[in-house]
Formats: sequence, C-alpha cells, structure tokens
Amino acid sequence: MKYFGKKLFTLIMTLFLVSVAAFLAFQIIPGDVVTSILGTEATPEREEQLREELGLNKPPVVRYFSWVGDVLKGDLGVSYRYSKNMNEMMPVKELVGDKLPVTLWLAAVSLVFIIVVSIPLGVLWARSASRATDKLGHFLDAALGVITQTTMAIPSFFLGILVTYLFGILFKFFTPGGYISYKEDFWGFLGYLLFPALSIALPKIAMTARFLRNSMLTELKSDYVRTAYSKGCTRRRVLYGHVLRNAMMPVVTFLGMIVAEIVAGSIVIEQVFGLPGIGRLLISSISTRDFPVVEILILYITFVVIFVYFLVDILYRIIDPRISEK
Amino acid sequence: MKKEKKGKWNKYLVAGLLMTGLAVVLGIVGFFWTPYSTTAMSAAEKFNPPSLRHIFGTDNFGRDIFSRVMQGCSTTILISTLVVLVSGTAGILLGAITGYFGGILDEIVMRITDAVNGFPSILLTLVIISLLGTGKQNVIISLSIVFIPSYVRIVRSEFIRLRDADYIKRARLMGVSRVRILFVHILPNIFSVFWVSVMIGFNNAILAESGMSYLGIGVQPPDASLGKMLSDAQGYLQSAPWYALAPGLTIVWIVLGFSLFSEGIRRSQDDKN
Amino acid sequence: MIRIENLSVAFDGTEVVKNVSLELKEGEILGVVGESGSGKSVTALTLMGLVSETARLTSGRILFEDVVLREAGKPLDKELYRKYRGDYMSMVFQEPMTSLNPTQRVGRQVEEVLKLHTGLQKEEIKARVLETFEAVGLRNAEKVYGSYPHELSGGMRQRVMIAMAIILHPDLVVADEPTTALDVTIQNQIVELLRDINTKEQNAMLFITHDLNLARRICNRVVVMKDGCVVEQGDTEEIFQHPKQEYTRRLIEAVPSRMKKRVSVMERPAAGGGAESNGMSGTGSEQNSGSANRTVLEVRDLSVFYRDGGNSLFSAKKKHCVVEGADFEIYRGESLGLVGESGCGKTSLSKAILGMNKDITGEVVHHTTRPQMIFQDPYSSLNPTKTIGWLLQEPMRAACALDKSLSMTKADMEAAAYDMLHRVGMEDKYFDRKPSQLSGGQRQRVSIGQALIMHPGFLVADEPVSALDVTIQAQIMELMQKLQQEMKLSYLFISHDINVVYHMCDRIMVMKDGKIIETGETEEIFRNPKMDYTKLLLCNS
Repeated sequence: MKYFGKKLFTLIMTLFLVSVAAFLAFQIIPGDVVTSILGTEATPEREEQLREELGLNKPPVVRYFSWVGDVLKGDLGVSYRYSKNMNEMMPVKELVGDKLPVTLWLAAVSLVFIIVVSIPLGVLWARSASRATDKLGHFLDAALGVITQTTMAIPSFFLGILVTYLFGILFKFFTPGGYISYKEDFWGFLGYLLFPALSIALPKIAMTARFLRNSMLTELKSDYVRTAYSKGCTRRRVLYGHVLRNAMMPVVTFLGMIVAEIVAGSIVIEQVFGLPGIGRLLISSISTRDFPVVEILILYITFVVIFVYFLVDILYRIIDPRISEK
Repeated sequence: MKKEKKGKWNKYLVAGLLMTGLAVVLGIVGFFWTPYSTTAMSAAEKFNPPSLRHIFGTDNFGRDIFSRVMQGCSTTILISTLVVLVSGTAGILLGAITGYFGGILDEIVMRITDAVNGFPSILLTLVIISLLGTGKQNVIISLSIVFIPSYVRIVRSEFIRLRDADYIKRARLMGVSRVRILFVHILPNIFSVFWVSVMIGFNNAILAESGMSYLGIGVQPPDASLGKMLSDAQGYLQSAPWYALAPGLTIVWIVLGFSLFSEGIRRSQDDKN
Repeated sequence: MIRIENLSVAFDGTEVVKNVSLELKEGEILGVVGESGSGKSVTALTLMGLVSETARLTSGRILFEDVVLREAGKPLDKELYRKYRGDYMSMVFQEPMTSLNPTQRVGRQVEEVLKLHTGLQKEEIKARVLETFEAVGLRNAEKVYGSYPHELSGGMRQRVMIAMAIILHPDLVVADEPTTALDVTIQNQIVELLRDINTKEQNAMLFITHDLNLARRICNRVVVMKDGCVVEQGDTEEIFQHPKQEYTRRLIEAVPSRMKKRVSVMERPAAGGGAESNGMSGTGSEQNSGSANRTVLEVRDLSVFYRDGGNSLFSAKKKHCVVEGADFEIYRGESLGLVGESGCGKTSLSKAILGMNKDITGEVVHHTTRPQMIFQDPYSSLNPTKTIGWLLQEPMRAACALDKSLSMTKADMEAAAYDMLHRVGMEDKYFDRKPSQLSGGQRQRVSIGQALIMHPGFLVADEPVSALDVTIQAQIMELMQKLQQEMKLSYLFISHDINVVYHMCDRIMVMKDGKIIETGETEEIFRNPKMDYTKLLLCNS
C-alpha cells in the first residue's frame, strides 16, 4: 500500500512536470500568438482586446495556474486555426472530443490483436526452439526468426500502405479511404478499424512473440526446470506449469511499453488510412502551428502513457510474489 | 545441434553487411550522380511500370523512380549517420560520467532519461519539430536530442556494472587516474554492447526520419526523401503500385540490413564468450 | 541395486565421461569426488536421465535393479524415466536458491511429486507434505508450506529440496554438491540430515562433491574421477589412507589439512627489538624507528557502515553498521587470517582498510605504500580487453603518472613485466595473450604478479583460492608463500575455509556479525579456541 501511494505521488509529479514543460514549450517560447491569430493587419485595439480575452497580459506563473485550473475544469482553451463561425473561436474540447473514440478504439483493437496472437505464437515458437534434436522444431524456429525479423523491419506507414493495397485494392475487403463514422454504424466502424489495427499490430506481434520466446528459453535453462523434471514432470507440465508463468513476468512490462508504442503508431496509421483520430489532428495542428491543440494532445497522450505504466507496475506487483513482499 | 561457426563472422553479419553496404553505396553514388535527372518531368514517360529503361518505373510526373530512390537513400543515410554520431557521442560522455561517478548529476540525468525513454520517441520529436519547424536540419537536431537518452542508459548501466568489477577496483588501488580508468580501462569493454545499440540507433533514426517525412513534417522538397515519396505514391496505389513499393521496400531493406548486422555482432560476441 | 556399466557420454563428439562403471547398494553412501571437469556431475545427470538432449551415450548401460534404464544406441525412454524419477529415484541440487520455482509456493512444489506419482486425496497430500517437512527438520511446517522460496533461508530451501526428494521414499537419492552453496555451520546440519535419512530409510545415496574432507566424513565408499575416467574406487578410509593411484595421492595431499605447517617469515616485535634484516622490501619508504617499522598496518577502533534505502528522493538511507570496533595490527612478513561466514563483514573490513569504503569511523594507518588486493574470482580480476603484458605494466605506468620523479622507460617496464611473469611461474609466451586464453589458476597468478609488481609490502587476499580446484589451490598457496618469503610480504588472508587459513597464516582473527570475537596464534586457536563460535567453526570443517 505504501508502494502504491509512492507510485501515485510519482505519477502526479510527472504529470505536473510534463504540464510545466508543455506550458513553457507552447505558451512561453513561441511568444505572442495574437498576430498569428489575427494576422498582421488587425488594429492595435483588437489585438489588445484579444490579449485580454486570452489572458496573455498576466505573468507566466498566473497564466500557468489559470491554464491548469481551466484544464482541470474541462475548459481546454481555443484553437488558433479552427473556428466555429466568423465570430466564435473553436474550443479545443469540441475539436478533440469526437476524435478521441476513434484513436482509443484503434488502440484497443490493436492491443487485442497483439495479445491474442503473440502469446500463443511465442509459446509455440519457444516449444519448437527448445527441441534441439527435432528437425521440424529447428525449421520452425528458423522460419519464425526470418519472418519476425522482416516484419519488424517494415515501417508502420509502409505496412499500412501494403495492407491497403493487399486487402483494400486486391482483395477488396474494405474500401480504402471509405471511413465509416462510429456514430453512424459502430460495427462497420470496427470492421474498418481491423485493417489499420492490423498494420499497427503486426510488427508488435513479431516483437512480443520474439520477446516471449527468448524469455521462455532463458527460463527453460534455469535450475528449477531441472528440479521439475527430476520430480517426474512431463515436458508439457514443465512448460505450462512452471516455465510459462515465470516467462510471462517480463512480458507484462514489455506489453506496457508496447501500449505506449501503439499510441505512437496510431498517430502515423491514422494518416495512412484517413482516420479522423487525434493523431491526425496532432499532425495537422503541428503543420499549422496550432499550439493550444498540440499542447492538449501531447498532455493527453502523455497522461495515457504514464497511466498505463502505472497500471502495469501495479499489475506486476500483484503477479510476482518476489516483489510484493518488500 | 548444428555447430555455429566460431569467431567473428557469421551469416547474420555477412548478410547485414551486404545489405547495408549496398544501400550505402547507392546513397553515396546518388549524392553525386543519378541515371536520370530527378527533377526533369516528362508527360510521355508518366507511370511507366518497371522496365529495363526504368528499373523501378516512373512516377506521376514521369520521373525515374530509381534515381529518386537513390537520392532518398543518400538523404536518409546522411541524416541517420549524423544523428547516430551526435547522440552516440553525447550518450557515451554522459553515460560514462553519470555511471561511473553517480551522485546528483546522475540523479538528474537519470530522471530525465527515464522520462524520455518511457515515451514513444515520436512524441518528443513532434514537440521539438512543432517548435523548430520542419526541414532537414531540424530533423537532425530533434532526432539527435530524442535519441541521446537511449545511449545514456546503455552506456551508464555498463559503466555501473564495470565500475565495481574486480579489475577496476584493482586499477584504482594501483593509482590509475580517473580519466584513464574511464576511457582506457572501461570504455573498450563496453564497445561490444555499444555497437549493437549503434546499429539499433541507425534503424530508429531511419524509421523516424522516413516516418516524419511521410507525415509531411520532416524533410521538405527539394530534398529527396523515401518517406515523402511514399506519401506521394499512396494516391496512385491502384494505378501504379510500384511507385509505393520502391521506396517502401528500400526502407525495409536498409532497416533489415542494420538489424541483421546488430544480430550478427551480438552472436559473434556470444560465441566469443 | 544400481549399476552403471562402462558408461561413456559425449557432447558434440567429445567424450566427457569415459567407461565409468559403478555400483550402489542399499543403505550405502557412495561418494564421487573429483575436480571441475572430471565428469562427476554429467555421470549423475545421465543416471537421472536429466543430461541435456545434446549428450549422446556412446557406450554402456544403466541398470536399476534388473530394469535397464538406459542403454547406448537406444533412445532415452522418457516414459520409463518419468515413472522412476521422483518415485524410485530423486535428486538434490547444488543451488537451493535457483532450484525451486520462484513464483510457486514451496508446498505446492513438493505436492507435485505426490500428484504425479500417487492417487492420494488433497487432504492426504497436504498431510504427507507437512509430515515430511517436519521429518527434514523444518519447524513451523504449516508456515513453510505457504511460503515462496525467497522467503526462506538457504538452509531451509535445501531442506525443502530434500523433503521433495524423499517424500516418496525413493531407493536412490542423488545429491549433487548439496552443501557447496551453504555456510559451514548450515553445511554441517544438512550433511547430518542426509546421513540420518540414509540410516533411517536404508536407501542408496550417490553423493557428488569436490570437497574431499566432506566425502571422507559422510561416505562409505568413494569413487575418484578425473577427466571423465574413474581413477580409483574403494572404501573411504582405505582410499584416504592408502591411495593406490598417483592422482589420488596428489589430490589428497593438495587438501589443506591441519597436519602440515608452513615456515613462518614473520618478524615479531620481539622484546629485544634489535637487529632487523631490512632490505628486501622494495618500497623502502618506511624509515621510522621502533616497532612501527615492523608494523605494516594499524587498525584502531574501526567501524564500517553501509547505507541502504533505494530511493534517495523519498526515504532517508538507513545506516547499518557492518563492522564494529575492529582493532588490530599486521606485522611485516606476517600472514593474518580472517575467518567467518558469509555476511559477517570480512569483505567490508578489507575494503575499508584499503580505502575503498569511505563510510567509516576509527583509524587505519598504513606503513607501506599502495597496498594491493587479490580477489576471489580469477575471471573478473583481469581486464578482458588487455594483454597480460599490458596488465603487468599498467601499475608502473600509473606510478609514473603519479610521481614524475619516477622515470621508467618502456624497456624498463617490459623487462620488469617479464621478470614478474617468471616469478609467478609463467612462461614468456603468455605475455601477449588475453586473459580469456588463460586458465583460472594462471589468471590468479597474473593477478598476484600485477599486485606485486610495485613491491607493495602488504597485500589483502580476499578468498584468493576459493574458486579454484584443490590441486590448483595448493599451487597458488605455495606461490603465495614463496613470494612472501622472497619479498617480505604481509598478507591479510580472508577465507571461509578454516583449513586453508591454518595452512597459510601465522595468526587468526575470527569474525562474527561484524565483530572480531577472537584473535590469536594459529596453533593456539586451533588447540584451544575460547569462543563457542570458534569451536563450532573448527568442528564443522
């Protein structure tokens, strides 16, 4: 419990530091934003009025806290680039709101793909690799080695293009660019997501399976495996009763890092498949230097990543008896 | 079990060396000379499929794709080499000092390193790029900064492992100076591990650069880039799939080469031990 | 009951066990002794069917009563072995730390044997496990049952392993160095336990060890192995008293025992003081008068602390006292032995003396320049990227960098390095080799040479021979004594092996829980130890 509290404290501290960094990076360094909103031809009065409106004439510390307060209250600020209509600026919240589910679902489907495929694959791989005298095992080991190595070398955006070409254009499983909104047809939306999720998942499946294989082979060499055999255990029992659980421990941490990479991967993949998620918004906001939007998105993604690490850490303590004691 | 070949050379190392070697030669030649001009457009030559004249075919402006791939290779390799050089050197210096001496500096550097390492590297790159703007130079700067922590972590952990090795304790007892212990006694022992991470660093730099260029926030025209070519080609996937395949497969080729290279180094070290 | 006939085992075409034949009867403990690489462990693992799949039986067979367990030319019958292992034959391994599954409660791990071989009900199984736990001397069996391995001490873990091995009363128990990883006092308890079990159950026990003293204590018969061959076998006392083979004789002689005594080169602060044969000491820096020039080290009321507490940001580090009030001196030419079990503070004390640990109170005064140290592990003592010649010259380069008045040319250094190479008994050809091309004993020789090349006068040796085989151990000890006489050296000799210390040292300090509890002349301490703990140490080895 003490550990939990300590971790929670670290979590909050990290968030605080990231928010300060984001504030400095996007609100202080870029300088005055008024001209970038109004253009160079606005009157000084209008500029002054906007500055007042945005609270830019206050000292940085005050601005930081009022910004954090606003964010916590749910007021995420306004975009510099998008506007609702002539007189009203676009709140970031609205901009982000309906894009968020797209990214979250994409990440979730990818994660399911990864876990469902990579763990059985890794176990199968380790089993064949550990049969040193078996020809088939040797062949499978080598073949999986080549396949995963190649898969990991494909950049996600190219993989996305390959998937589009193969499943979209050749096999016509889906229409490239024919995104279906989750508001209209949820199942159609999920169906469309399968392909971008596959593009994110494939390299990660290769990585995770490889990691699990190596982890299991390391465990298979340990002394307790010999002890288990000396008790009269079958190979099957040794693998599933003893080795798998121990080998899974580092995989849990590894999957935590994979989640962070899925988030990163979705930024690129949304672009490839034309998904209106937050990744695409982030890229377009960076190109147009729409700092309030970039800032909120970076903070948001950071929060998700830190939170996942936090969860993995707690989970690890629950499943590994060796550290839960201390 | 088959006996692995002993010694320095194994099939991974050879394959990796051949693959990366070819790409590097292509890139260097492409920097000075290409078979066709990469800017001359020709409506008559539009979307020619791969042939003997244009081995990778031509694009929507009738430009020779092979020539553009060569130039793209040269940009990618130039950027990744500079990034690895800058971040690797900084990583060695910071890692050596923090790892060996520990203390407050170590604490600070480690906190930052941990924080940065935890995040998907693309995120920090995006932040830096959004502040600096796009372009070749800024890609190099942002990637160099982003990749420093990964080297620091590896070098530091090796220095921590070795600073308590018996032979280092003995060197201290002999009165060997600190600088000499750091760079003459310890450093040669970490190169084996360091080379592997340099190879992985090349991969990450290549993937990051082409990814950024694909998203339109990396290298900007007129600089050639494999990532940019891919994003241009995506619109013509149905009519000219070779346009996308050529730069894409080139990236896969280079990355695979470097991974085999690093795997080869690792295995040759395992054999030695 | 168990017969191994002409067994040969090969890995990748090289035979590591050659034509080994042995026989085991009920109620007997058969010891297999030999140095590392003698094939004793491979023999045992082959008997159990646990040797790795890459090993091939090139000749012979293994019989369990009348059943052929294994025969050359036939594949391993996994089903047959599975039935026998755990039920009729079982094994106790060397490392109790890693031999248990770290993420499973030990109760369940022991239960597994019963689940695999009997059809007992859940409650019966648990009762049997608890009963066996008590039989192997695990008090509070219920608590042990629900513990994870990391919650138990080394000795307790080994008891759990033994419980696992005997729960089905097998006819054969193979014990592969079962006490090597444990402290002497615990070692003794485990050996006693194994002997009791053997008497009670009248099973056959194959006891594999490198420790000849141990084999002599516990085994009825002994098999001596070398390079995969059986050199000699017979009744234990017969072998130890009248070894027939040259190798056996050498092996027995190499074991440090209390029968032999060394020649002392120490200069005591004799009452008269008087004429002193100075000169050999290369440093020549101590020109003090009186008894000080006979003392190389004075330690006054030294306490050493150790701070822990992982995260310095959140919690203040806790301060532990690992050495408390050490107070002693070492004279020129003297070997002072420091004995104690692991964790008693021996190493912390030695580090503090050499200034490698700064967190101390009290006083350490050296009367020599740059005392050096030799470590236990010969594999990590030498920088693997350098050549032997470079390593031997490095102390001279360092000395020249520190003291500009010292001028040594490259040729001087090289000559001195070659000279030292000869003094530690090695040939010229090793000068350009890397440490990885040397054996453990040779590396330890180079370490000693490197430590002595600047004539330090005082040397701390932290378990310098513990990682070596007995015959090599004897050679290194002989070398250390030779050099001590030649160079008038003083040693602080740290060891857990009281016999080695007896062989090497003039005086002995006994350490327990950070305190020096007894100091005295070697003979005196061995003849009549004052403290109970010292007595315990002495009778356990």
